[in-house]
Amino acid sequence: MSNGVAAGSEMTEDKDLYPLALLMDELKHDDISNRLEAMKKLDTIALALGQQRTRDELIPFLIEVAQDDEDEVFAVLADELGEFLPYIGGSKYASLLLPPLEILASTEETLVRDKAVASLNKVAKEFPEEQLLHDFIPLIEHLATADWFSSKVSACGLFKSVIIQIKGDALRKDLLGLYLQLVQDETPMVRRAASKHLPAIIDLLTENINLSTNEDWDYISTMFQKISTDQQDSVKFLSVDVLISIMKFFNKKGDSTHFQNLLTSAIKLISDEAWRVRYMAADRFEELSSQFASNPEFISELIQPFLHLCEDNESDVRKAIAKQVPGFAKFIKNPQVVLEKIMPAVQSLSMDESENVRASLALKINNMSVVLTKEDAINNLLPILLNMLKDEFPDVCLNIIGNLKVVNEVLGINMLSESLLPAITELAKDINWRVRIAIIDYIPVLAEQLGVQFFDQQLSDLCLSWLWDTVYSIREAAIKNLRKLTEIFGSDWCSQEIISRLLKFDSQLLENFVYRFTLLTALTTLVPVVSLEVVTEQILPFISHLADDAVPNIRFNVAKSYAIIIESLVKSGKKEYLELADNKIMPSLEKLTDDNDVDVKYFANQSITKCRPMFA
Amino acid sequence: MDMDADMDVPMQDANDDQLTPTLDSGMNNQNTSNDNNNNNDDDIQNNPITLATNSNDYSDDFKPGSSGIADNKSTTPMVLNNSNINQLDTWIEKLTKCEILSEDDVERLCKMAVDVVQFEENVQPVNVPVTICGDVHGQFHDLIELFKIGGPCPDTNYLFMGDYVDRGYYSVETVSLLVCMKVRYPNRITILRGNHESRQITQVYGFYDECLRKYGSANVWKMFTDLFDYFPITALVDNKIFCLHGGLSPMIETVDQVRDLNRIQEVPHEGPMCDLLWSDPDDRGGWGISPRGAGFTFGQDISEQFNHTNDLSLIARAHQLVMEGYAWSHDQNVVTIFSAPNYCYRCGNQAAIMEVDENHNRQFLQYDPSVRPGEPIVTRKAPDYFL
Repeated sequence: MSNGVAAGSEMTEDKDLYPLALLMDELKHDDISNRLEAMKKLDTIALALGQQRTRDELIPFLIEVAQDDEDEVFAVLADELGEFLPYIGGSKYASLLLPPLEILASTEETLVRDKAVASLNKVAKEFPEEQLLHDFIPLIEHLATADWFSSKVSACGLFKSVIIQIKGDALRKDLLGLYLQLVQDETPMVRRAASKHLPAIIDLLTENINLSTNEDWDYISTMFQKISTDQQDSVKFLSVDVLISIMKFFNKKGDSTHFQNLLTSAIKLISDEAWRVRYMAADRFEELSSQFASNPEFISELIQPFLHLCEDNESDVRKAIAKQVPGFAKFIKNPQVVLEKIMPAVQSLSMDESENVRASLALKINNMSVVLTKEDAINNLLPILLNMLKDEFPDVCLNIIGNLKVVNEVLGINMLSESLLPAITELAKDINWRVRIAIIDYIPVLAEQLGVQFFDQQLSDLCLSWLWDTVYSIREAAIKNLRKLTEIFGSDWCSQEIISRLLKFDSQLLENFVYRFTLLTALTTLVPVVSLEVVTEQILPFISHLADDAVPNIRFNVAKSYAIIIESLVKSGKKEYLELADNKIMPSLEKLTDDNDVDVKYFANQSITKCRPMFA
Repeated sequence: MDMDADMDVPMQDANDDQLTPTLDSGMNNQNTSNDNNNNNDDDIQNNPITLATNSNDYSDDFKPGSSGIADNKSTTPMVLNNSNINQLDTWIEKLTKCEILSEDDVERLCKMAVDVVQFEENVQPVNVPVTICGDVHGQFHDLIELFKIGGPCPDTNYLFMGDYVDRGYYSVETVSLLVCMKVRYPNRITILRGNHESRQITQVYGFYDECLRKYGSANVWKMFTDLFDYFPITALVDNKIFCLHGGLSPMIETVDQVRDLNRIQEVPHEGPMCDLLWSDPDDRGGWGISPRGAGFTFGQDISEQFNHTNDLSLIARAHQLVMEGYAWSHDQNVVTIFSAPNYCYRCGNQAAIMEVDENHNRQFLQYDPSVRPGEPIVTRKAPDYFL
């Protein structure tokens, strides 16, 4: 690239290139913040230098930097190098990036190492197979056999870039053998890193299902044995994910010869004496059990261990398993078993002493309605749900309400109206406004399910009452809710059931500007979703009448509202509406531009600027 | 008296002190005289800091006016043009996301703000309807919660009674946002001066350090503290509700006397302007010595007399932590409003604002701390052993 050669003395002439010399100096500056800034502009420097000089001068310089600076600078450098291929001339020079990244991957600071590993993996994608063999694998071997743990930890993160690229069985076996060494390393940090990256490696073998040999799997099996019996909890608990990945492989392969053994391993982990291991098993329970779902006997063997987790001494374990209940229950194909074995556990989790456990159960418990027969759901699930809706911890109610749709679908409207509606009405008046707002958000879903008639009888009063809430956000949500309801039930409904009732409201209430403001906003929000007859006959007269309100805040909102009405009228293209907008509303807006309040003037002018072009 | 503002003297953490409740206990003899629900918010008597009275007490750098934001003051109130408005709207949008303005933008903002607030009166007239708010103290997320409860500005009119900075972690964002709103909508929002809008106090209670941390220099602190000198010190809502940060002064009998003060200065350490920003109502009648070391305590007789003389219905003030967010005193002659929920992130108090409608009906809205994902949830009540 010739533009790089220009990076000499005359670069001061060019505004883009001028900073280059400066940046190079800055990379050596005494103050770390200058070095950091310069390092962030490394791509600019490289671009200016051109590919040749970047390879010959900048990279060797960076190798020096990578050995002698502060961690913050290293972190930026490690990031930058991941994007550096285009600046050094593409993938055929990729190996040049390995030395500085290898140094960075061996530093003590985790953040730097992680970034270096990420960049190495990014670079590795561009390597041709031959170069992988020649340069990248030796780098892995080098790191994996270093003296210090930090290099070995980095090595663990690099295997996934080569494991399926290597087509030779012997070489892959060697790599897995090397990995096995890392899994058995004397430092727990290395064992932890190796265990953490193992599932990703196995998943790659699953994606390329025919690549691996039996010998490979002997290695992997040994690795799993080692990890699942590790002395350190923090290593051992990672074996849950390893197990899941192994199961996925054999399921894909259709090979169930090892399942009984693997089930035994799973049950052992689920009932491990270390709570962190049990926690991990609980947290992944649905995924884990899904791997055994092909055989109902395996699933029934998992029921007892599952119930133990539900009664675990550690609340964190119960919290984790509470979220997995319906996910596991769906694999038990027999509703009777679910009813007799699982529901009692649900019942006791719903009354758990820890509020976090109850909230966690509430997140998914609604899905139990799909697993049970309708009758059982009504008799056994519904009472629990109703009880949880009365929970003193708001998150429990909110989580239940957020997922009521599933219950609607299964139990149907009648059940819901009889049992849940009183609870919802109760919560609609909750002292915590965030609970009230959650109920409002749920109303459109409910309305859709219930139908117009039922809604008018049971819920429309409630929906209107929120407009007069003392908290602004509730009034705002109530207004949005009316718009959504209108989209469901239509303009005629809105005109009769909402707008007519709003306009009939007690004039005493309207003496308070808050309520006039709310009404104004509500009507304005409805403009785009009702017919133009409703706009011109019901909404416009009310809004015009507020144009000379004593409170300026109302007047400038009238100005905003006019713009929305004009837009709707003009869009219709009908002559009568165009005339109305032009002859009636525009003059009224013009009048507001002469208001004695600056904000009214401003917003009136804004509306005029917005509307004028519409008449052109 | 000539006392130096010597910042090297070790200072007691007044935070502990304001956590000391006076509730029914009388265990703290300093505060027993206070209203039952009220806790002192700071105490400068126990701290050997003193309020300097003249500029000789500052090092050159900390001299009032050293930021230069008031060097080219306009002689007429600022009129916004479209480019100002766009800039302010952009700033407000940015600040609402809790992102700070650049130092240059703060300078532009403060220059505009001087040309807005310098023309306001010592007793700034405010129309109803208006929502009156107390201390915010850098609790930015709770200020956003306040707007969720009361409605956004400019749709709702606001009157803030001081103490925007110190204590909380986001003083810069909080004061920048309020000042932006003030410049953008001067008729919709009024911001009074509190005792924390001062050079000395902010050096002790956090704002100075926060500016240093977020901007790398004291420049932004200098600009804002120079601006604070121009803030109005009291407001009069529809000639009926007298609003100010602290309380009354023995040297002030009529509202007109407040109008005669020269307010454009650092908060003095004594005298009427100091008292207005520092005093507290008290159960005992008459005037009393304030445990804070500045201002006075005043009794019901004083409040009644003041309201009668000036034909007022109420004195609304802030300055003290009240557990319910608001508290009446002096037979409803005085109300205290405090708008920082879970003050200092650990007091467990509710916050409140007071809506006054156009017919002078008052309504208090209480609220709890905003929900911030990722932050530990603090139980409503601080454990007893903290108090």
